[in-house]
Amino acid sequence: MQIDLGEYEHTREYKNLIENYSSQPEYLLAMMQDVQKQYNYLPRLAISMIAEYMSMPVSRVYAVASFYKAFSLTPKGRYVFRVCDGTACHIKNSETLLDQLQQHLGIMAGETTPDGLFSVETVNCLGACALAPVMVVNGKVYAKVATGDVKKIIKEYGGQEHDS
Amino acid sequence: MEIKLNGQEYEAYPGESILDLCRREKVPLPTLCYHQAFGGQGVCRMCMVEVAEPGQKEARLVAACTYPLNTSVEINTESERIKRIRKTIIMLLARRANDHPLLEKLADDYGAPRLSEIIVQPPDCILCGLCVHACEEMGKSAIWSMFRGIDKRIATPYDEASEDCIGCAACARICPTQAISYSEKGSVRTIWNKDFALAACMRCGKYYATQEELLYLQEHGDYGQENLCESCRKKTLAINMKNFT
Amino acid sequence: MTANLEQNDRQIVLVCCGTGCTANGAREVFQNFQTKLKDHPEIEVQPIIKATGCNGWCEKGPLVRMMPRDITYCSVAAKDVDEIVEKTLLNGVLIKRLLYRDPVSKQQLTTHHMTDFYRKQHKIALRNIGEIDPGEINDFIERGGYQALKKALQGMRPGELIDEIKASGLRGRGGGGFPTGRKWQACSEARGETKYIICNGDEGDPGAFMDRSILEGDPHTVIEGMILGAYAVGAAHGYIYVRDEYDLAVQYLGKALKDARKNGYLGNKILDSEFSFDIEIIRGGGAFVCGEETALIASIEGRIGEPRDKYVFPTEKGLWGKPTIINNVETWANIPVIIREGAEEFAAIGTEASKGTKVFSLVGKVVNTGLVEVPMGTTLREIIYEIGGGVLKKRAFKAVQTGGPSGGCIPAELLDLPVDFDSLTQAGSMMGSGGLIVMDDHTCMVEVARYYVNFLAEESCGKCTPCREGIRALLEILTNICRGQGRIEDLQLMEDICLTMQEASLCALGRTAPNPVLSTLRYFRDEYIEHIENQFCPAGVCRELTTFFIDPEKCTGCTLCIKYCSVDAITGEKKQVHVIDENTCIRCGECYRICTFDAIKLARREHYGN
Repeated sequence: MQIDLGEYEHTREYKNLIENYSSQPEYLLAMMQDVQKQYNYLPRLAISMIAEYMSMPVSRVYAVASFYKAFSLTPKGRYVFRVCDGTACHIKNSETLLDQLQQHLGIMAGETTPDGLFSVETVNCLGACALAPVMVVNGKVYAKVATGDVKKIIKEYGGQEHDS
Repeated sequence: MEIKLNGQEYEAYPGESILDLCRREKVPLPTLCYHQAFGGQGVCRMCMVEVAEPGQKEARLVAACTYPLNTSVEINTESERIKRIRKTIIMLLARRANDHPLLEKLADDYGAPRLSEIIVQPPDCILCGLCVHACEEMGKSAIWSMFRGIDKRIATPYDEASEDCIGCAACARICPTQAISYSEKGSVRTIWNKDFALAACMRCGKYYATQEELLYLQEHGDYGQENLCESCRKKTLAINMKNFT
Repeated sequence: MTANLEQNDRQIVLVCCGTGCTANGAREVFQNFQTKLKDHPEIEVQPIIKATGCNGWCEKGPLVRMMPRDITYCSVAAKDVDEIVEKTLLNGVLIKRLLYRDPVSKQQLTTHHMTDFYRKQHKIALRNIGEIDPGEINDFIERGGYQALKKALQGMRPGELIDEIKASGLRGRGGGGFPTGRKWQACSEARGETKYIICNGDEGDPGAFMDRSILEGDPHTVIEGMILGAYAVGAAHGYIYVRDEYDLAVQYLGKALKDARKNGYLGNKILDSEFSFDIEIIRGGGAFVCGEETALIASIEGRIGEPRDKYVFPTEKGLWGKPTIINNVETWANIPVIIREGAEEFAAIGTEASKGTKVFSLVGKVVNTGLVEVPMGTTLREIIYEIGGGVLKKRAFKAVQTGGPSGGCIPAELLDLPVDFDSLTQAGSMMGSGGLIVMDDHTCMVEVARYYVNFLAEESCGKCTPCREGIRALLEILTNICRGQGRIEDLQLMEDICLTMQEASLCALGRTAPNPVLSTLRYFRDEYIEHIENQFCPAGVCRELTTFFIDPEKCTGCTLCIKYCSVDAITGEKKQVHVIDENTCIRCGECYRICTFDAIKLARREHYGN
């Protein structure tokens, strides 16, 4: 089994986040959300520690991590470009925005650039339908994004055009 | 209480499922995800039947394996609607277990059309979930159903060798489509990406279980120190009993 | 039923800080007001959350509303604050350029209450949104909050509460439409000491944001509703399950719970009665299927969100196997009003089988996007045209999608259908949580079906065969059709698969997943056939089947399309006919939608599938 020594540095931090909650099953999600928020993904060691703390098999905790969209099993980029694919945004052409991101960053939705800087994802309706199509980057909301705006937004975060 | 099934009257125990009743009364009902060790799951939906509850005009469709009998209902297990449902389910599942005799036979029986095959992991898996239950029952839970939607599949965490797996192959044996494969080369069994040293039977020398499996059983106190394969254990027991009497 | 905000002359400035307005700089506006008005303590500044998109105003934000004159300014920039304080607040003079201009009547209006959008609504669930600071419990109390709770604890037996809810005819607002009173009755009668109350805030329908607005803008109404429900059935613990993506809602709920406890509305021996109850917030993990009751329960129990067969209801065996009530946010929001004002008043609104009002989220190609609360029985036409202001850019109405991924598309000939639980279901759709997505002639109905099936392919839990494998097959077929690789026999195959999904799926997600496909096949079959037989997409959406060209007779050379083209595929001088380079063109359709001279045309694409 692969062991990432780097994760062991964080053992105490994982422990603190986990033991913030009692080991009742209803806190499993909350505990995992806290780790996800802190590390931008769920490190393997954290998953094992959670499993032990909750007296659950590792496979069950991994199943929960893989089932819910809130969790990522691989590290996300520093900047996460989220394109809303709710129906209102979809009929206002959100797919084209996604294409533009994929083209300029060289990655598909759900992937992260090799340098760890950018991730692209589609996200379920954010409920800001009057502003369709909507894009969110690390919490900042971009409203009524036109196809041509995507390049500019990527530049805001230091991205260059990808030579594809 | 009294219920009617396909026009005939039967006695049902309160709370038992329609499938329990059918099995006891030898009324045939196709299932793919049922195993008596675990009870009904409601996963494959092959056991859908029509049920008319007292006071309801129209019958509704329910899964026989999970529907509890608590009132005098009327059940139909062989209507045209039911057969059509079975046909479609088989048509869809046969894509995953393409060419497997079990699905081929069902497809023939119900006249299910052939659709293009899809590649699934493990190959031929119909996601009945019995392997997960078996592993859980063994007390290990090395595998679980991961991800969701059309990507759902049975796997170990990270698709890597699991610390929890003891190589007992209970999962492989319970699988209705033999989707879980394991290989045995000499004294090594490989399953779910993990290699296990096999233990040899003291009496006949045949490899019959993994070392991890024996260790696990010993830790749980269920198993004695005899390293005997199944048939040798039976023979030994018979000899002992003969000596005793 | 809406109370006046202030009876005295105290001036209040309400700055909308909802998601939309914040994206447009509302926080800076709010801070500037606070700074500028430091020297004027007689004027109060409050942050509020408006039901986002009121009147399409989400796009006209930041919005600033001043009481008691009830003046609203739109698109307020941080630098406008000084002028607003000097002219309007201190001297009562209106700044014309900041007033709202009604797109239909073209009139400038001082207050949004004068618009058709507002006048035709009847707000119960949304009664407080945009009128109060959601972080301030006293605002809620001032408008009648917690009066229902006092009335119940000080003078009603639990059974009487249940009777009142039954008499009101309230049905679940999340989509299921189950009679709320009956649900409470069943839970009350179920055996067991321990019972649970759950608020389903896992609003998953894309395009629906009524629950978000209520949780953000008026959290106390949900809390009060839940306390009443707990009292009615005998529960001591409650959970509010909020969708993971709703940060602001979680924030405001947290504050509201704290304040409610401080004021004695939650906790031990509430309002000096023998009744104790408290609520915890649980954040969802991000799964549409967890909007289904039993999947939600599984999620709280620390398991994957797979539903189970519901032959035994959660009211008998729910969370941890105990009797549980799960109701939607909007359902809970109605409860305090029903108890406070009485069931009769509520039952007097709506239709025979669908009482009260319903919040709809009107979005898509409609002029006034936003949340609309109207009596049940209001027609689609009234909502879309009279309240919504009709289709954007006066384009042709094609369909309205109702009920989210579990619903279907309703064509123009059915616009006079009343919106209630039963009429829409008969037409092949459903009301669902109240999403109304207006589509114009630039929408491809086959692609819409593909879009919804694609959504469900990821969101289905994947447990049962008909749903998982049925959706997989439907998605393959629809994707092929949109790429011009469809076969005519696939239409029958889809219908067969859809039927089995409706009959045999384990939960409502699987049972209703066929709706988008079946409703579009029913009302827009010719579009499917066009895609299959002619490899053409009449709406100009499916890229492999579309090509755009400029009609030289109509082109005026205005260069608008050139400006909008993100791949520089269009060339042409001002006042000269423009030309689209087919090889560079990515078929995004922006030029097609932006041209005001109808000069860009569709044609069948000869070469595709590369």
